[in-house]
Amino acid sequence: MSDAPYSEEEFLNAEDKMSAITEQSLKSYRVPPNALFTRLSDVTKLLSKKVLKWGKTNSLWPAQFGLACCGIELMAFGASQVDAERKGYLLFRSTPRQNDVMIVAGWVTKSMVPRVKRFYDQMASPKYVIAYGECATSGGPWWESYNIIQGIDQVLPVDVYVAGCPPPPENLFAAMMKLQDKVGGKTVGDRERSIAEEIGRDEGEGVQLPEEDNGR
Amino acid sequence: MTIMRINVGPIHPSTHGVLRLVVDVDGDTIKGVTPHIGFLHRGVEKLMENRMYMQSPSYTEKLDYVASLSWDDLYVSTVELAIGKEVKEAAQVARVVMLELQRIASHLIWLGTQCNELGQMFTMFMWCMRERQEILKFLEDISGTRMFYVNLRLGGFNKQLPADFVDRAHRLVDYLERNFASYPDVTESDPIFMERMKNVGILDRDTAIEYGVSGPVLRGSGVEYDIRKNMPYYIYDKVKFIVPTGSKGDNFDRYRVRYREMLESIKIIRQALDMMPKDPDVLGVPVKLIGPAAKPDIVVNHRELPKGEGIIYMVPDKQKPYRISLRSPTFINLSVLPKIAEGAKFADLVVISGSLDMVMGEIDR
Repeated sequence: MSDAPYSEEEFLNAEDKMSAITEQSLKSYRVPPNALFTRLSDVTKLLSKKVLKWGKTNSLWPAQFGLACCGIELMAFGASQVDAERKGYLLFRSTPRQNDVMIVAGWVTKSMVPRVKRFYDQMASPKYVIAYGECATSGGPWWESYNIIQGIDQVLPVDVYVAGCPPPPENLFAAMMKLQDKVGGKTVGDRERSIAEEIGRDEGEGVQLPEEDNGR
Repeated sequence: MTIMRINVGPIHPSTHGVLRLVVDVDGDTIKGVTPHIGFLHRGVEKLMENRMYMQSPSYTEKLDYVASLSWDDLYVSTVELAIGKEVKEAAQVARVVMLELQRIASHLIWLGTQCNELGQMFTMFMWCMRERQEILKFLEDISGTRMFYVNLRLGGFNKQLPADFVDRAHRLVDYLERNFASYPDVTESDPIFMERMKNVGILDRDTAIEYGVSGPVLRGSGVEYDIRKNMPYYIYDKVKFIVPTGSKGDNFDRYRVRYREMLESIKIIRQALDMMPKDPDVLGVPVKLIGPAAKPDIVVNHRELPKGEGIIYMVPDKQKPYRISLRSPTFINLSVLPKIAEGAKFADLVVISGSLDMVMGEIDR
């Protein structure tokens, strides 16, 4: 035992000493604030550019908010012919908290302005506005009326304007695609889109035309 | 008992537009409903007084945007009365065909949204929109636009009908009839639908007449009153059809009346198409800066719109109306809502107000 580097007394008190050292070190060690969270935020910063944008781009949920005539076309937008669901546009939500896109469909009267504004304020960010139709764009046929504001862009920031009175649902579809470009993420179904937008293609090439429906 | 006051609207998914209802409830029972309207008011009558006669159809058709052609026809025929212009025979037939198709389209929108409100999500809605698309496609090929066809001119239309008008109309009507046959499978055979429609929102015969309601709401209460029968215009006195009526005046009767009206419209269209002369000439007076001048007599015109009886009172001046007043049927139908909603459950409020088939653009004007 004499060769040992420590005396017998030290050996017996080692445990107490170790625990004292640990206690001391624990007392002196200060945890840097939000150590864990700063690291997580680094990760999300990396992710946000791609994943979050991708999510935002492909799940634009519109508000179930029809004001006038264009609201009927908004219904047709959700119905079977246009079938907006295949692009992730269709989950029409009735509460502003769950919306990303506000489609202003119809003329906005002066008594409606504070309500539309409040609806917009209640939406969670990021939020986008589409002015759907002539009335929401510029007042349309009611431009001279005493009770109409000449376009919703006097009140809210508008991202996409859709022309027409009322614009067919296909136009709204195109507007949503424009909005997707604006949001900037990678869109689902890019390949079909490039086929549809390719100008130089031959007629019928790459697109399966449906047979003539003898129903109508 | 404490009475709670609840606000519904104006932005609400199932009030058929921007209607605000202030509802007093005791527990779950409605004690009173106060409708607040005017969120779509834009002063149509005043705007029309500052327009030439044939500029206004683009305003009238945006009154009832679900069935735009019917108000258009009411206005144009009022101007025809004021000017003293006869409608060509083929144009009368074509107008009846298009008006009845528009009536079907309007009822389809009503049926689809009503079933949505009952929580029968999207089956009926999708079916109705499918049929409506076909109707709109047909009308689009005649006029050039999808929803607002400004194609009525004094005495006829803005252009000739397409060559295959009769054939396509026959095919369209066959298609509609085939599909309408399957509708009762989703509505009348559905216990939830029946439970929430039968004996809810009862409007009895006397109250209906007292309040002056019209259209399917009045006929659902058992009054056989239809302008097409009582004061026939165009070719309605030459076609055979029945005016469907209900007995009790509840939601189900109003549904039943509308459903049967769609089938009657198909009958009318078929008979009208048989009356269509060969090589129809439907061209009306083209729109010019200075059109034909009107006679200075006051004109009152009635039409059976899809939602009820529409009236235009017009004091004509030479080139534009001096005063024009519109009687919209849905405005008067709405006035009966506080009466029939009283005593009902709060959950039925939306169903009852939906069964009156309101369009806010027409109510607010």
